Amino acid sequence: MGFWDVFGIWLASALTIGIISFLYRDNIFYKACEAIFIGTSAGYWFIILYWDNLYRKFWTQATDPTNPEWYVPWFGFVLGVLILTRLFNKIGWLSRWPLAFIVGAVAGLYMMIYFVSNAMVQVSSTIMPVFTGSWVDIIANTTVVLGTFCGLVYFFFSKAHTGVFGGAARVGIWFLMITFGASFGYTVMSRMSLMIGRIDFLFGTWLGMIR
Amino acid sequence: MLSFPVTGQVIDTVKAVPDSELVVVAPVTSLIAADHKYDDGKMIDLSWVPSIDDRLVEGNVMGYKVYRIEGDSEPETIAELAPGSNAYNDQSVERGKLYSYFVSALSSNAETPSIRTAPIQPQREWLNIELINVLIMALVLGGAVIYFIETARRGKKLFVRKIAGLEAVDDAIGRATEMGRPILFIPGILDMDDVQTLAALTILGRITRVIADYDTKIFMPVSRSLVMTAGRETIKASYQAAGRPDAYSDDMVTYITDEQFGYVAAVDGIMVRERPATVFLLGAFFAESLILAETGNSVGAIQIAGTARPAQLPFFIAACDFTLIGEELFAASAYLSGEPKQMGSLKGQDVGKAIAMAAILIGVLTATIGEAWNVEWIQHITTGLRDIFSTR
Amino acid sequence: MRARELIVSGLIILFFLACYFFSPKPMEFSRSTSVLIIFLLAAAFVYVFIRTFRGRFIGRRVVFIFVGVALVLPFFMKFPLPLQISPEVQSVYDALEKLPPHSKILASFDYDPPSAPELQPMAVAFMKYAFEHDLKIIIMGLWPQGPQQADQAIQAAFIENPDLKQKTKYGVDYVNLGFQSGYEFVILQMGQSFKSMFPADLYNTPYDSIPLLKNVSNFSNVDFSMNFSAGKPGTAEWVQIAVDRFQLPLAAGNTAVQAPMIYPYLKKGSKGKKQLIGLLGGMAGGAEFEKLTKKPAKATTYLLSQSFAHVAVVIFIIIGNVAFFREKKGKK
Repeated sequence: MGFWDVFGIWLASALTIGIISFLYRDNIFYKACEAIFIGTSAGYWFIILYWDNLYRKFWTQATDPTNPEWYVPWFGFVLGVLILTRLFNKIGWLSRWPLAFIVGAVAGLYMMIYFVSNAMVQVSSTIMPVFTGSWVDIIANTTVVLGTFCGLVYFFFSKAHTGVFGGAARVGIWFLMITFGASFGYTVMSRMSLMIGRIDFLFGTWLGMIR
Repeated sequence: MLSFPVTGQVIDTVKAVPDSELVVVAPVTSLIAADHKYDDGKMIDLSWVPSIDDRLVEGNVMGYKVYRIEGDSEPETIAELAPGSNAYNDQSVERGKLYSYFVSALSSNAETPSIRTAPIQPQREWLNIELINVLIMALVLGGAVIYFIETARRGKKLFVRKIAGLEAVDDAIGRATEMGRPILFIPGILDMDDVQTLAALTILGRITRVIADYDTKIFMPVSRSLVMTAGRETIKASYQAAGRPDAYSDDMVTYITDEQFGYVAAVDGIMVRERPATVFLLGAFFAESLILAETGNSVGAIQIAGTARPAQLPFFIAACDFTLIGEELFAASAYLSGEPKQMGSLKGQDVGKAIAMAAILIGVLTATIGEAWNVEWIQHITTGLRDIFSTR
Repeated sequence: MRARELIVSGLIILFFLACYFFSPKPMEFSRSTSVLIIFLLAAAFVYVFIRTFRGRFIGRRVVFIFVGVALVLPFFMKFPLPLQISPEVQSVYDALEKLPPHSKILASFDYDPPSAPELQPMAVAFMKYAFEHDLKIIIMGLWPQGPQQADQAIQAAFIENPDLKQKTKYGVDYVNLGFQSGYEFVILQMGQSFKSMFPADLYNTPYDSIPLLKNVSNFSNVDFSMNFSAGKPGTAEWVQIAVDRFQLPLAAGNTAVQAPMIYPYLKKGSKGKKQLIGLLGGMAGGAEFEKLTKKPAKATTYLLSQSFAHVAVVIFIIIGNVAFFREKKGKK
């Protein structure tokens, strides 16, 4: 390993410990690490956005003499410039046009994606016989059907949650809370994994204590 | 759609290999080339019956090669498939051109071509009839949304049930005023094209109206530059409406960084240093949600959160005082603003939910009864309902 | 800066310097030491529980220390962990097993270094499996750092199995097309033409000059797809566009926080087809996949640490509830 590799590992370790020190209390090391992280990330994203979007997607295609559709990126460029007009009060209203274009295009794309994959297909998959197969299957199917139905009842805003409807909404929120608890558990695993990664770096890569 | 069976034309493309050890396998049969239905004219479907040596004698057929002939040009290999394959979708064709195909069965050292199909031209269809159910559902839902928007515009009051958490907003702002500590508003980390950010900004407008009246300080760190300008406009308009334009300052809304955890580190620092009495976490959040909520909790702030991202809701529910779950964020935005478009959209979506609930209820009943008593006409209802909501 | 902060900072720096200069490398606890440490930890938990029960609550920082110890110490212990293979991980493995040699796999790396501890081990295991079974990999990324993570996974696979480095050749056995911005619009365009989105690879070699990409124009020319995802754009977008529209066979590896959102795609639709073939969920999914490929590596090692941390969290949830009811009783 060269000098700069070793320096990089020591620097990364110092920054890691500086950020983790926030668990104790806010301190000058944390503030320094925070400022370095914010500055570096802002610079990094600026470079990525410039080279991958502005240069690669716009400039190389718009100025390529062999590209038969060279004029298409210019359309996007004009819309991009119009968004910047938001910074100026007098002509700020122009920025609504590119925003409308983005929202409209994304809505059109997501129309099929979310409407079909996340709504219709899920309703279709929920239509199942509940009393079929083994006891485990019966419980599983009943849980899926009840949870989906009562969850929909909870998010129905046109009727107050009273009477039988309110009871179903209550069941729905119970299902939601149990799901959130399970999801929380999964996420705890995720967060622990990230911490394990840092520990592997500190005690393994830096200190060499882990095989 | 055009499909032609074999035309009696054989192509001799067997490669030159040492003939003493040639392993010749039977060709594929019944090769059919058909234009793919309901597409842009960019796909041709091929199907065939695999070689009899693939079906009966294991190990002789090593695979298949699909050849395409464009017009009068030389055959080109477009795919190599595993043994047992009996279909292929050629997605690299161009509309308006003529193509014909043959498939070779491969042995360890030879290949046996099939008979070539007649030329076929891929066609474009303007409508995908198989997705007609999606069109109808979209029209029903869209129609409901438009109907309710128009109803709201005509001045009719649309009922929206009480949303827990909204009543706490005024109390939370009052608490901050009494304690003399600022309010922190975090509109999520996505940009203006995300509907959760728009909902958060609508609620911001309502909140800052009250803040301006109470003369409380508000800070709004953001991670997108467009959200910064939109946030400033919203707060400025609220202060002007409250008759306090002098109290507004651009420093209330600051851009930090686009980087997710850089933003989080900065907001955590602001929370610990400024010690806000109230924190609003409304919008789209990702992995930073628990970090923000925990830090806000640790400085003793009352926290009202809302997001439509299910993965982050558990953290807000655990660490915040009030949480707007999923669609309640949009309902809150509609409820507070009273804007016809938002109210109408909310009610229109309820129509969709009602349809889904009815479909599930009827579908499950018919599926259960149909399976238990084996009643055919009830089973048809179940299949029909499933097909209405399915494309696969 | 306060004296206490300075002292604590100094102690932490001394601790790490002591570890750097004086600790054995690598450090490994013997079985009896491991058992003793577990016993001491258990005793500490019991002490905290009794304290809480008596109304003397501990602070947040003590909880952090317990969790930190539960995460760090298992790295130096060697305990075999029983591991059950879940059906969704088995499905991924079975699908890969069915692929004949020379099959082309499109591997999308949609994550960045913050998610690497969870996804990198499964990516390395996947690469090792692919190279050992002569499967060809076309790498791409919808996140900027994704292709670099893929490169690191390949290098790690080569380090763990040096024969693979001799056997595989860039451009013939694998290729890295790099990152393309545009989120799910990239997937949509790739359905028509890969070249329109990736005119050259990561090293600026033109698409048409790469032997592996000959006859590969769009999704119909790949035999399988594997997606490693930490968020958006990721598995959900690949399913919604590449699978639903272009019928691309897809399996995925996700972070544990994403996995519950992806489970609905594992259900069969009305026509009996699943949207997603299988799912490796988080570190546990990665460890199960390593077990199936018979090459335990980082995910399996990390799992012991994770298990200890989970036990610590469960114990603190119980202690926390005891504290909650104790406090409620105290107020009455």
